[in-house]
Amino acid sequence: MIGAKEKNNIEIMLDNVGMTYDAADGKKVQALTSVTMDIHKGEFISLLGPSGCGKTTLLRIIADLLQPTSGKVLIGGETPKEARLKRKYGMVFQSAVLYDWRTVIKNIELPLEIIHESKAERRERAVKMLDLVGLSEFADHYPRQLSGGMQQRVGIARALALQPEILLMDEPFSALDEFTREKLHIDLLKIWRKTNKTIIFVTHNISESVFLSDRVCVLSPHPGRLSAVIDIDLPRPRAMEIRDTPEFTALVSKVRNSFEGV
Amino acid sequence: MAVKSISKRRSSVQSVVLPLIFGAALITAWQTGLLHILLNTDEYVLPYPTRIITIISENTDKIMVNVWASVQVAVLGLLLGSLLGYLIAIFAATFPKFGSGGLTIVSAFNAIHWTKDVSSEAEVRSTFAKIIVVTVVSMASMSVNAYRGLTELPVFSDDLMKTYAAGRLTEFTKLRLPNSVPYIFTALRVSVPGSVISALVSEYFAEYVIGVGRQIRENILIAQYSTAWAYIVTACIVGIVMYAILMVIEALVMKKRK
Amino acid sequence: MKVIKKIIGSKLFITLVWIAVIIVIWEVLAFRVAEVKRTPENVLPHLTGIVDSLTSSKTINGAQTALEMVLENAGATLSRAALGYVIGIASGFVLALLMSLSGIIEKIAFPYLMLIQLIPILGMAPIINAITGDIAISRIVIAAILTFYPVAANTLAGFKAVRREAHELMYSYAAKKFQLYTKTMIPACIPYFFTGLKISAPMAITASILVDTLQGGIGLGCLLSQSLKGAMTRYVFWDIVFFSAVIGILSFYLMGVLEILLCPYKRLEKKGR
Repeated sequence: MIGAKEKNNIEIMLDNVGMTYDAADGKKVQALTSVTMDIHKGEFISLLGPSGCGKTTLLRIIADLLQPTSGKVLIGGETPKEARLKRKYGMVFQSAVLYDWRTVIKNIELPLEIIHESKAERRERAVKMLDLVGLSEFADHYPRQLSGGMQQRVGIARALALQPEILLMDEPFSALDEFTREKLHIDLLKIWRKTNKTIIFVTHNISESVFLSDRVCVLSPHPGRLSAVIDIDLPRPRAMEIRDTPEFTALVSKVRNSFEGV
Repeated sequence: MAVKSISKRRSSVQSVVLPLIFGAALITAWQTGLLHILLNTDEYVLPYPTRIITIISENTDKIMVNVWASVQVAVLGLLLGSLLGYLIAIFAATFPKFGSGGLTIVSAFNAIHWTKDVSSEAEVRSTFAKIIVVTVVSMASMSVNAYRGLTELPVFSDDLMKTYAAGRLTEFTKLRLPNSVPYIFTALRVSVPGSVISALVSEYFAEYVIGVGRQIRENILIAQYSTAWAYIVTACIVGIVMYAILMVIEALVMKKRK
Repeated sequence: MKVIKKIIGSKLFITLVWIAVIIVIWEVLAFRVAEVKRTPENVLPHLTGIVDSLTSSKTINGAQTALEMVLENAGATLSRAALGYVIGIASGFVLALLMSLSGIIEKIAFPYLMLIQLIPILGMAPIINAITGDIAISRIVIAAILTFYPVAANTLAGFKAVRREAHELMYSYAAKKFQLYTKTMIPACIPYFFTGLKISAPMAITASILVDTLQGGIGLGCLLSQSLKGAMTRYVFWDIVFFSAVIGILSFYLMGVLEILLCPYKRLEKKGR
């Protein structure tokens, strides 16, 4: 993945992206200053940093939920808004945001209803997605009946239902316990390999970012900025045990040492 | 951005100005007779605002006597009912199993709206009977809300009290009582308007012809619609003023907490 | 032993105990009243007397038994209450929807929505009766106004309670406003909407009965006034008190049942915990 850096392989281009807020006391707060980087097709990128570093802001700019105050973003050569209208990305939130009144399968069908897919097509795709995340037997359950980890897997299946090219994930596993989280890491990597999506994964967990990513983008706060981009050249597919290797530990310390002013 | 803060300020100006414009339009429609056409009525049953204001200003003394009678009933009943409701809540919180069952009954009482039933019994000493009506109405909302305030504690706070080896009384005064204060106000927000309404309605059935509610009815019976409207406007003002007083008290009490 | 303990601990049992306690207190007071008053049923009759009056086949006005009379008048009152209730629900929901759709409408209506709950609507019943000139329409209007506020306020709260992420999800799908409402906002506010319905159902009934008392004719309230004035036995009054109490509570629970029928996921929630 890392070797292939031809121009036409760029999925997302960030050019000098910056964001300035007006604080309540009238002062200007720099949430993000001039982030420039390219994200390649099929790449797994983590945005890592403590709270206030602007990692979520950056993700929300890519998702067209926020407008940057400077710089520009191109997704496959288009603006974030155009990309959104073409449903080029799927979004996974910190909590699963499932609808209580819909069964699991109907939750996954939701985005397909929005784009007016036929009923048969909806069901077929939802079943496929449910199978992908390994929850086929829970199709007719309601979200409240599922554990947190299962709910988040439904959230991922729903995001994939529109067959987007990009998956934007905003701290999706931060509310889960360590055991569930490690299991979902493996599952996510499997899904990623099968579907070949570009994934942008926001997290504040160093080991999580190293385990999952091709590249870790380290963001530092005050003002929010991109302070380092670290290649994670661990072999794939990665298994749980890779965390015990000295290479993994070395990368974790490398990432940790790249933070500035925390 | 500067643009953003301007639009914010404009938005808050709008939320004051727009309702005022609407209110002014409504009163204009009323005064010019447009409202009468819309409601298919005449200025005899629905007098002009100016006429109502004239009547209020000319009869201030008499109106105040009736306001005082109604407010007395509403406030005394409210205090008595809230106190009883809070005691029920304490009882329910102390004996949770049987207490919560009792609360189910109390909230069912709430669903009945006893107003008319009790007030029909008001051949007995008038003011006292009216106060009882208001008491019953206020009691239900206070007991249910105060019970929540006494039992829905911050996570682990009761465990914390236990690590101090605090007795039940200490736990009550240091933890449960202060925790229930916001819930008391939640209850009062419901029961203050409720107490005014039930005071007015109970007057319909009472022995003595006194009180704002009774005056509305009496004046309509003798077809004095303008006077009846004067009392209706008065009743609205009483309701709003009592709620405003509650808001001020709440702001003062809750300010210390922040 | 275990079974007995389970029964004693159950919620139903506790509620029954409370009802029993209330019955005992009532009866004790009734005996006391019977000793000192000449016509005890005017103050507090025995519960058996009330039940007797409902089941007896003795006619009251020469044509109907007490039960028939209560039921006939209840029909008149409740049908008006129900009509007003439905009108109030519809207008409350539509206003909440408009307020949620348009910031300007919200700004205009919000203060007035708050004011409505402070205005003693029931106190205005006589004048509404005078304006409409018809007791049946007055019942409908009053029941509708009283229903309107709880439904509008709760539905609006339901729209506001939809989480930001849910909005963002729909935004990321490039969903249209219409889809946002049909797929997200309206289903999400249903539980809040039903809270409004539960609060206002007994209110609509009470209001209708109260409006009855303002004028003669048919209706539970009219019957109630006549009984109080001595035009017929006082037991009719007690029958109505109990009848309307039961109907009020039933209307509350009926809304709860409707909610569960409409939202099957609600049922699971209760079992699951």
